[in-house]
Amino acid sequence: MFGAIYGAEGSSPEALLASAQEFSPRVESVGDSRELVLDLSGMTRLFGDARTIAEELRRTAAERGLQIRVAIAGTRTTARLMVRHRAGLSIIEPGTEADALAALPLAMLDAIADANSPLGMVLKRWGLRTLGDLAALPADDLAARLGQDGVRWQRLARGEDAAPLVPAVPDERFEESLDLEWPVEELEPLAFVLGRLLEPLEAHLERRGRGAAVLHVRLFLIKTASGVRDVHERTLQLPTPIRDARTLRTLALLDLESHPPAGPIDRVVVAVDPTPARIVQFSLLTRPLPSPEQLSTLTARLQALMGETRCGSPALVDSWKPGAFEMAPFAPVETSDIHAKNDTPCVGAVHEAAHAAPVLALRRFRHPVPARVHVADGKPVRVTIDRRGMDGGGVRACAGPWRTSGDWWHTRGGEGRGGWDRDEWDVTLTDGATYRLFRARDTEQWFVDGVVD
Amino acid sequence: LIRKPIFAIYSLLREGEHMANHALAAVESALRDRKLDRTLTTALAPLERLDPSALVPMDVAALDACVRGGLPRGQLSELAGPRSSGRMTLMLHMMAAATARGEIVALVDTLDRLDVASAAAAGVDLSRLLWIRGQDISGRAGSFGPADRRCGPAGPTERALDRALKALNLVLQAGGFGVVAIDLADVPLTALRQIPFNTWMRVQRVIEGSDTACVLLAAEPMARSAGGLTMALSGRGTWSGISDRSRRLSGVELRARVVSPRKRIDGAATVGALAIDATDRDLPIVRHAR
Repeated sequence: MFGAIYGAEGSSPEALLASAQEFSPRVESVGDSRELVLDLSGMTRLFGDARTIAEELRRTAAERGLQIRVAIAGTRTTARLMVRHRAGLSIIEPGTEADALAALPLAMLDAIADANSPLGMVLKRWGLRTLGDLAALPADDLAARLGQDGVRWQRLARGEDAAPLVPAVPDERFEESLDLEWPVEELEPLAFVLGRLLEPLEAHLERRGRGAAVLHVRLFLIKTASGVRDVHERTLQLPTPIRDARTLRTLALLDLESHPPAGPIDRVVVAVDPTPARIVQFSLLTRPLPSPEQLSTLTARLQALMGETRCGSPALVDSWKPGAFEMAPFAPVETSDIHAKNDTPCVGAVHEAAHAAPVLALRRFRHPVPARVHVADGKPVRVTIDRRGMDGGGVRACAGPWRTSGDWWHTRGGEGRGGWDRDEWDVTLTDGATYRLFRARDTEQWFVDGVVD
Repeated sequence: LIRKPIFAIYSLLREGEHMANHALAAVESALRDRKLDRTLTTALAPLERLDPSALVPMDVAALDACVRGGLPRGQLSELAGPRSSGRMTLMLHMMAAATARGEIVALVDTLDRLDVASAAAAGVDLSRLLWIRGQDISGRAGSFGPADRRCGPAGPTERALDRALKALNLVLQAGGFGVVAIDLADVPLTALRQIPFNTWMRVQRVIEGSDTACVLLAAEPMARSAGGLTMALSGRGTWSGISDRSRRLSGVELRARVVSPRKRIDGAATVGALAIDATDRDLPIVRHAR
């Protein structure tokens, strides 16, 4: 048994929903925000017969200041059509839906079917005026002329449901909090508090099939002498949906190690932004990657150790600037994806690719090392580097210069001020090492850019 | 603990080889009962050397033939040599092959020396490379020299080295990486020699039995792992062109000598590495009339 309620113009959707939820936990919001469908199966034992339920619904809504129509029928479609057609209470006995709807105008279907469908106009041109007219047509002939849409409209006209009720799920808050009897000053005891909060959160997420996309940690600091209560809030964007409490706790603690609160804490609130959980299909044929939980923890630990911007994947940038790059988060794609894209061999398969010759690599000094270069006939002949372990020496062979410059249109300056303007040389010194040197054209200074290695 | 089994061996050997096997079994049983049948280095069964999946090929035919397939997984290997000996070239080439196989790799870059363009040119799938960048201290005045000593035992070099070793440990413990390399090539030998030797034993212990091949880049061999390989490298630049205007660095001739502590593998190979810049660059500008 289903009920439909339809609020008067200007009714509050929230108040309407609250009224409906007092009678059934399965409530579907349909059409505009003023119409709700309730699953009333089994509710007669609690509230009485259908008419009693309808009267109670009206009374409850009236207490909230709402004027509503109520229709109760054996199917959702019948209830919806009746509530839109007739004011007051409408009770349709199960089994009599088609008879009850027969007299309703055909235009009623536009509201619950597809208002933009040309089917209504077609049926009107056929001379059909009521739902009973449409319901009486032979289904086979209707399907032959109008297809499945025609059959669907006819089933609606007979009061049959095309789809089951889909109850609206209220927005859930995934949040846990704890008031501490004694303020916590160290991270170690806070780890236990976070663990206690995150474990029920993990269970909650698991029940709902969700994972955390964002983790919020709010630490309420004790009131200062002036009565001000500061809140230390940290937000962690997780690279993938995670709900493992230990992983979340580790990530939160590593973040708090880098950004500690300013004082003792007496209240801890942990909240997550939920997102559908990750579904992983493992393969027997490809090498598994570490799980995102493991990678997130590893990255967080490395960032705590080395610095936030010093771990990740390198990425090339669209620039001719020597040594230009940017850091991207380390997020390798699954091997199967690569396999599909590049047709690379699986684990254990012999690497059949032709052995290409190695390409020389440069070991680049992120801060170029100043050098003194003696030039004769326009070529460097001796290089002296004032760094231990880089003695320099006579130039055995050299090539260059290659002139390169750029970014002078952004910044007024040369080397070291955003732009660059240099002559590059490759030199092999008497010690056998091959260096890349450059001369900054604005300052005439020489630098070692890197070592060919 | 083993007096009785030893006595049993002694007495049984006299009775024949067949009986000795029983004594040996008795010794092993006694040790097994007391959980003394495994040492630290044999806690996990080593991967079979002949199994191709137990090796990380270097993707250089001559070198792979020399090392019988590649560097062993679950072991600490070394690429050692002076500047311009091709350590970084070989390491990037090996990483490129690993990422092409779908593996993920990591580089602990102690002094932040990686040239990203070189890595891309070598064919490394950068999205599968975890790059852990240390601090470049080369630009600081005297950072390899007296300043280190002024800073006391924990100078910038030592701090960078300490962080790099900790990062290496974290990456190895996380697991899942095909190749994990640590670049100590430019770290002064004085700092490297202060690393306790058991550091490398701990590293070896962490990766033992795993699919990870740990590679150490240094100026000279340090770890001397029993199961890993040490490749001593030397390089010689090759130049093309006969005039100043046409001359350019065409590549480096790499000579690798494989040194195995157990002398199971020992050999040498020479390979050529090409300078991609030599073909990509335009002609050098003429700066002087001759």
